[in-house]
Amino acid sequence: MKRLLYIFIILVLGNVNVVHAQLDSIQKLDEVILSDVKLKRYTSGYKVTVLKDSVLAKSPWSLTDLLRYNSNIYFKENGYGMVSSPSFRGTNASQTAVVWNGININSQLNGQVDFNTINTSNYDSVEIRSGGGSVQYGSGAIGGSVHLSNALSFMKHTDHTVRMSYGSFDTKRANYGLSTGSENWSVNLGVAYVDSENDYKYLGTNKTNKNGQYDNLSFNLNAGYLLNDHHVFKLYHQSFVGDRNFSGTLLAPSKSKYEDTNYRSMLEWGYFHKQYTSKVKVVHLLEEFKYFENKDAEYFSFGRVQSFIGNHNLNIKLTETIDLRTIIEFAKYSGNGDSFSKPSRDAFSATALWRHKVSEPLIYGLNIRKDFTSDFESPLVFSVDGEYRFSESYALKLNGSKNFRVPTFNDLYWNPGGNLDLLPESSYQVDFGQEFSSKFVDLKLNAYFINTKDMIQWVPDNTGLFRPQNINKVKSYGGELEVFLKYTIGSHHLNMNSGYSYTVSENDANAKQLIYVPLHKANLNFGYSFKAVELFYQHLFNGEVDIIGGQLDGYDVGNLGLSYNYEISKNVHSILQFNINNLYNTTYENVALRSMPNRNYQLQLTLKF
Amino acid sequence: MKIKNNLVLALSLLVLSFSCSSDDDNHEQEPQGAYEDGILITNEGNYGHGNGTVTFISDDFSYAEQKMFFNVNGTLLGDTAQSIGFHEDLAYIVVNNSQKIEVVNRYTFQSVATIDSGLSNPRFITFLSGKGYVTNWGDGSNPEDDFVAVIDLETNIVSGTISVEEGPERIITNGTSIYVAHQGGYSQNNIVSVIKPNSDEVETITVGDVPNSMVFDSQGALYVLSGGIPAWTENETGGQLDVINTSSNTVSATFGFDDNEHPSNLTYGESLYYTLNGGVYKLAIDSQELSTTPEIEGVNFNFMTVRNNILYGVGAEDYTSNGTLQSYDLGTNATLHSKEVGINPGGIYFND
Repeated sequence: MKRLLYIFIILVLGNVNVVHAQLDSIQKLDEVILSDVKLKRYTSGYKVTVLKDSVLAKSPWSLTDLLRYNSNIYFKENGYGMVSSPSFRGTNASQTAVVWNGININSQLNGQVDFNTINTSNYDSVEIRSGGGSVQYGSGAIGGSVHLSNALSFMKHTDHTVRMSYGSFDTKRANYGLSTGSENWSVNLGVAYVDSENDYKYLGTNKTNKNGQYDNLSFNLNAGYLLNDHHVFKLYHQSFVGDRNFSGTLLAPSKSKYEDTNYRSMLEWGYFHKQYTSKVKVVHLLEEFKYFENKDAEYFSFGRVQSFIGNHNLNIKLTETIDLRTIIEFAKYSGNGDSFSKPSRDAFSATALWRHKVSEPLIYGLNIRKDFTSDFESPLVFSVDGEYRFSESYALKLNGSKNFRVPTFNDLYWNPGGNLDLLPESSYQVDFGQEFSSKFVDLKLNAYFINTKDMIQWVPDNTGLFRPQNINKVKSYGGELEVFLKYTIGSHHLNMNSGYSYTVSENDANAKQLIYVPLHKANLNFGYSFKAVELFYQHLFNGEVDIIGGQLDGYDVGNLGLSYNYEISKNVHSILQFNINNLYNTTYENVALRSMPNRNYQLQLTLKF
Repeated sequence: MKIKNNLVLALSLLVLSFSCSSDDDNHEQEPQGAYEDGILITNEGNYGHGNGTVTFISDDFSYAEQKMFFNVNGTLLGDTAQSIGFHEDLAYIVVNNSQKIEVVNRYTFQSVATIDSGLSNPRFITFLSGKGYVTNWGDGSNPEDDFVAVIDLETNIVSGTISVEEGPERIITNGTSIYVAHQGGYSQNNIVSVIKPNSDEVETITVGDVPNSMVFDSQGALYVLSGGIPAWTENETGGQLDVINTSSNTVSATFGFDDNEHPSNLTYGESLYYTLNGGVYKLAIDSQELSTTPEIEGVNFNFMTVRNNILYGVGAEDYTSNGTLQSYDLGTNATLHSKEVGINPGGIYFND
């Protein structure tokens, strides 16, 4: 009920905004406002890969599925639709930051984002920024960061999108998107619902995925209002309400259930004057989970953290070629739950970003940040990056940074075991990239080295009690290749994007590859379209990984899709899409003993009007 | 497999030599399988990772075989191999998070049956009058659904359940009654339940907090060692050793530990032995006071047992790599042998 009320309030607030907005009509500005400008402006020396809505539309909606096939990031998924965590450049699940419209949304409880709790259908784009980003994005941006962005379009338009899909394992998906606006206001809204029995076969056995049912609802509302040339107000909101049964393993049946709820809201006031851009943001984040060991019993454990964040950004265009940005941020986090009392933490950070376009080919950036946290000492972090563009078709990129990850609420306060003497993890890294581009082909080639120390690990103390300690040191290094091809002959369009990564991630103590980090991972997306018909194929090769006491085999999985574009009437456009997932009926697990789905089918209809 | 074949060969040769040398000896028996006479170690593995295993180690520690169940039967044993109970020729392997008991021939380890219905977080097993008794936590978060499952050993079916208080753990019998130590599961408890076959009555005896191990001495007295409540609860209590008179089922003597002392792994072989703060302590039967000096120091045992004046202990190392079985001569307290076992070992069983 509370949830509904919350959504209702947001809706009403949103509408009020719209109503007010409609009354005024002062400015005439055709503009698309991006939610995270510093991602564009202060990342010259970094590899940023952008996945646009056309890519998002072909993927089965979850951020895991999207990135598994479209990025170098490797995922561990506890069975399809279950908890999913990334390993970015050999780092662990809490060393990838997820950034929602400029705000780091990694859980304060465990430091991670479950990538199956992000529905991509309500976003305009997903960007992957490789390399350390703690200066800009704070704790956890060690391997890299994943950015979820909504754009506000300030032009007269009203577009509706309806998507419905039905597929194997009684999987139902529905999505409605509205984007509307005029010269001085803009609203977009998205509602997405997914529900699945998820009772796939465990190939090679006579078992099925018995306790894997899930459903979730995502709601996004974004609104902007341009008061005049100088002032813009924006509201971003996202709700996620998920209800999953946690499937067991091949050897352990499960009857557990997990409910997670996230509310994220941000109000922003932007002020523009001459060379100054000032933004004030007020953010509220709420994360909550309930874990039921037995879904049919009333017993559950829960945890909740609320975050209030105030942020001020000031961008000064010092000269035509130099930008300076200062950011100050205050955050208050307060939690409660069954495994700790009522901890709270205050954090303050000050950041300065400098970007200088020395000449046409050369850009560099210098960035520095210091956090002050109530429970522990955070390191001073910095980054240096630069780009040298030799020609239209060749550029060199280089970045080096120090990054950090703070101990989570669980690490600090969990009873038993929580350790208040923990330090943040700290990490140095360098990343060297080359980018080639031509009419048909774009190539990105990167090599990196990451050295992380004081890594927090739960280990038994002398009484046998598991406690987190700053003990581990890990060295990761590797190379990444991404290739994008585009070719058109007449009405035939070919496109391909593919990636390969080689990742070494070793524990300093024994020089052994960390568990669940594949040395090799490759992904391929191939599309061919002719007039209204498009055929596409996805392939994932995931190399063997070490697990505790053994190895888990690598695997190849392929997906095939066919879509047909049809203009129903002048203003109604439809796309009918049919997907065959796991085309080869591969038996595979990406976490040991947790089988992934057999071959399955999905039919999707998209209407745009 | 190769090693196993070699073992079979070795054992055959051994048998052959015995047969040759002692033709007139009527006592010698054919070995009943590759794993007769040796030590079985249950390795819990990591909860949820399905890497529970059983290791076989020969009595003289010269030979070890990992993952016996898998080697013999070709399928993985399961998730969290908790404990083993022997009854006649069979071994009952309680696999906690797989919610099952694998029944195998104890000498060949050939699978005989799987009991996978009617159990809920099974822990330990004992046998009395043709029936198996298995402690079950039920849902860990529910203090009211704990039970002892009664297994019909003819059909390998759970034929009944006996409701008990929270957190039943170790279960042993003296041939008349069954004694269940209630460690408390996810919580803490302080009782021992007494179950009589063919009776629904469950008698309880209050002991120290968190009873973690129990043994009978040769006179039939029951010793219950309680670890006390751990410090993190902010309600810490020290350990306690209770001596229970099994004819009256009452506590006849109590030994108290200091408030910050949490002993465990009580075992019996002429004297009592237990671990405390990395030391192995000895307590002679009839002794009036706890010893303050350890017999052996610097150990970190998950479990410990004594037999023929040799002490055996298993340690888990870092819980992700293989643990070790270590033996000590209790005459001299010197280290005897050591052998690598599986991940997170928790039980030592003599298979003879």
